[in-house]
Amino acid sequence: MHETALMQNLIGIVNRQVREHHAGPVKKITLAVGKLSNAMPDALSFAFEAMTKSGPLKGAVLEMKEIPVAAHCDLCGAEYQPEQFPFFCPMCSSPYYTITRGEEVYVESLVCETKGSVKKEDE
Amino acid sequence: MSEEIEVNEDLMDLNEKIAKGNHELFRKNGIFTINIMGSPGSGKTTLLENILPKLSKLYRITVIEGDLATQNDADRIRKTGVSALQINTGGGCHLDAAMIASEFKKADAENTDLLIIENVGNLVCPIEFYLGEDLRLVVMSTSEGEDKPLKYPPAMLHTDAVVITKTDIAEYVDVDVRKMKDNVKKVNPKARVLEAGKVNGVYSADQVISYIKDEQKIRCAGA
Repeated sequence: MHETALMQNLIGIVNRQVREHHAGPVKKITLAVGKLSNAMPDALSFAFEAMTKSGPLKGAVLEMKEIPVAAHCDLCGAEYQPEQFPFFCPMCSSPYYTITRGEEVYVESLVCETKGSVKKEDE
Repeated sequence: MSEEIEVNEDLMDLNEKIAKGNHELFRKNGIFTINIMGSPGSGKTTLLENILPKLSKLYRITVIEGDLATQNDADRIRKTGVSALQINTGGGCHLDAAMIASEFKKADAENTDLLIIENVGNLVCPIEFYLGEDLRLVVMSTSEGEDKPLKYPPAMLHTDAVVITKTDIAEYVDVDVRKMKDNVKKVNPKARVLEAGKVNGVYSADQVISYIKDEQKIRCAGA
């Protein structure tokens, strides 16, 4: 359950971005979650709901999208999308690889109300 | 009216930054650091109790223990004559770089050349948190089942070596150690697989000791 720690970091990142961009209240947060990231989308949602019941992110929606796994063959350099372990390069069959994508969890973008626009939806 | 802001910031960035600071601090003090991870009961502390007497003849060691509660593990380590610090996370399922940064302030850095961190027993969450270590070991006991490596891919992917412990009871829990090793290799063919367990009633972890000695030599030579 390190999802709570992840959400704490997400809230920190979002609040800082809002400040830096002088943006209004956050409507939507798009979070990219790697398939091999060790983070569970349901647990992330649960933590987000619980941690944004009050405060500046109250009412914001968390949208998640899954990032598929991509690997780089250590032998021939081919890039491929592996399915299941063990991974084998489709070009040269080597079992040696480096994962290049699919382990990350990052805030991709935010949708905020423009500051100065009427804040009627807030509160 | 609404606006879209592009962010692209990883949720682990903050931890990574602190961990890099830890790593620099360890390096500045000539300290080689190992992060040991594994499920509760996999035999992490027992492994340490058995390798520390031999390793402490070669290195000045400090151990940081991570648990939800109690000083039990630090006490067990101290009995081997090695200095130990205990982090209690309360309910926390993993150690993070900030916890290590703060605990390490209590360590005698000048008189340490090997820092061993025993993470909270958990094979999922600790994997995600880089602490600033040079080497990672995952400890997995035979009683956890032959297919455990396949069930926990991130743990296999983010370790330098896997230590299979309790090899002496493998036959009683119907586990073929060779198959368990193959399963580690199926997920991460680059990981080293080592064994530890009782041989004729005496705990043996010589493979782990040699591995640590070799890696310390290789990785510290380049520093």
